[in-house]
Amino acid sequence: MASELIRVENLEKIYQDNGVPVQALRGINLTVNKGEFLVIAGPSGSGKTTLLNLLGALDKPTVGKVFLENEDLSLKSKSELSSLRLNRMGFIFQAYNLIPVLTAMENIEFSMMLLGITEKERRKKALELMDELGIKELANKRPNEMSGGQQQRVAVARAMVNNPSIILADEPTANLDSTTGGLLLDLMQQMNKEKNITFIFSSHDKQVMDRAGRLIILKDGKIAE
Amino acid sequence: MLVKIAWRNLWRNKRRSVIVILSVTVGLIATILTDTLSMGFLAQMLNNQIRSSIAHIQIHKKGFNDNKTVQNSISNPQFVENEIKQVKGIEHYSVRVISYGLLSSATASSGIMIYGIIPEQEQFITDIKQSIVKGKYLGNGRHEIIIGTELAKKLGVGLGDKVVAMATALGGDIGSDVFRIVGLYKTFSSDFDKSTMFIPIQSAQTMLNLGNRVSEFAIIVNDTRQVDNIKRKLIDKLDGKYEVLTYKDLIPLLIMQLDLFKQSMLVFYFIIGLALIFGITNTMLMAVFERINEFGVLMAIGMKNSRIFSMIILEALFLGLVGTVFGMIAGMLIYWPLSYSGINLSMFSDSLSAWGTGNIIYPVLYMEGTLNALFIVPFISVIAAIYPAIKAIRLEPIYAIRYI
Repeated sequence: MASELIRVENLEKIYQDNGVPVQALRGINLTVNKGEFLVIAGPSGSGKTTLLNLLGALDKPTVGKVFLENEDLSLKSKSELSSLRLNRMGFIFQAYNLIPVLTAMENIEFSMMLLGITEKERRKKALELMDELGIKELANKRPNEMSGGQQQRVAVARAMVNNPSIILADEPTANLDSTTGGLLLDLMQQMNKEKNITFIFSSHDKQVMDRAGRLIILKDGKIAE
Repeated sequence: MLVKIAWRNLWRNKRRSVIVILSVTVGLIATILTDTLSMGFLAQMLNNQIRSSIAHIQIHKKGFNDNKTVQNSISNPQFVENEIKQVKGIEHYSVRVISYGLLSSATASSGIMIYGIIPEQEQFITDIKQSIVKGKYLGNGRHEIIIGTELAKKLGVGLGDKVVAMATALGGDIGSDVFRIVGLYKTFSSDFDKSTMFIPIQSAQTMLNLGNRVSEFAIIVNDTRQVDNIKRKLIDKLDGKYEVLTYKDLIPLLIMQLDLFKQSMLVFYFIIGLALIFGITNTMLMAVFERINEFGVLMAIGMKNSRIFSMIILEALFLGLVGTVFGMIAGMLIYWPLSYSGINLSMFSDSLSAWGTGNIIYPVLYMEGTLNALFIVPFISVIAAIYPAIKAIRLEPIYAIRYI
């Protein structure tokens, strides 16, 4: 039996848009098991990014709770959540969001630096990972010297380097052409299978949905099917 | 790595950083020049006072400094001289007879300070010999006198003319003598030139019925930092029976001015610093606002607020340090030649003469001022970055990531 990684109970999120309350999520209940390749899909405004942010401890729910390995995230301080994201989560963003002044290698090393890993060890691990992901030749390139696909591969490496239990990817293929997006998804699927890393995507890209181990469709802040 | 990121971030907007660095550089150059020039001005005032008559240390009979009369003269100068010779650190000394008096020509008179000196000794104590502009320095001729050019003008006399000096003698009667002007001097102080005359010590002792009594021993020490130590030693040697005064005791107002100036430079630094603070705060705020999205990502991947705060502070510190390095180098490159050539302010010669500085001011660098300049800008930069850094760490990652 697959072990539970994330459990969401009766999740609601209301945010203010120019003073007008908007209910982004309406009573979401969800369990994500370890090693899942889960895609949260839905039209724009359906609440998928909001849900992803709540799962990633980047935001707090208005009502309901998020449990990560049975730990209630609502009980944690800002600093504890920061440590939790650093140690147990990886993030991949639509716009890649690499640190522009750092090279690919340094971007990958960055999360390890935050963990206090020595430079020698960081370099070794980053090189190994880059080799594994086929981006070793990008080591000394800065983000503005790389294509979107290359940047997103570096972002995947950055998300993976601290051996997280879960990687949250917000529309990771939205800025990529279908071929590059497909290759990136291949890579993430491979990591999911080989390393048993849980992936949760928010996307409305068909090729992402096609590869989903489980697909959840959100509509108007609720799980539709 | 944080240092690396901060340093590279500094150069993301080169033009903006260069402008701030230039403003720091210019501010520092202005500070260094103002500081060194003012210190030079005051140091020259002090040095000229010392080298005109005051010397580093004076020894008198007790009470002489408050009441400069021949009655307050030292009756046993040989004893004092022997003790002076035994104290280490004294470079030169001279013996003087000093009295207030009147100097008259055929047409005019003027109140003056009479200095009876041993010319051979005095040339190592004061700059009077080097200040002779007409005629010669005082010799041993009994009736020789040298006076300032200003006094000569006032009395309507010149080289070779006779003048009569009068003063109250030891017994209370009036002593007088005739002198022939052998030299005219011009020092940095017009007041001194108007009011001081020099004659051989024997002539002064005879005119004032002093026998072998003298008024003062003027001492120049090897190292001015030791002046207080030497004073203490002299007091001990002389059994506390004599008045031993350093230049700090003799011209306290000038010493106070020097101290006050050093304090007032802090105000100057504060004003320059205040201007820099706004510039750097503005730059760092812009740098933060431009990178809101990036801060959101850093927070999302687990960078703690303390590290984000440190990164912004480091960026500002680098701005300040780079500006300081350039400012110090440029300031020194300007200061160095000026410290040799001086700055010619002869267009203000009348005012400068009243201050007793001389027309050419030589900037003087002092350790305290240099250290202040060295540390104050980086310190200010750090202070200036606190507000932008607080703004950055108050960002919510969820809002910051979406910020375009």
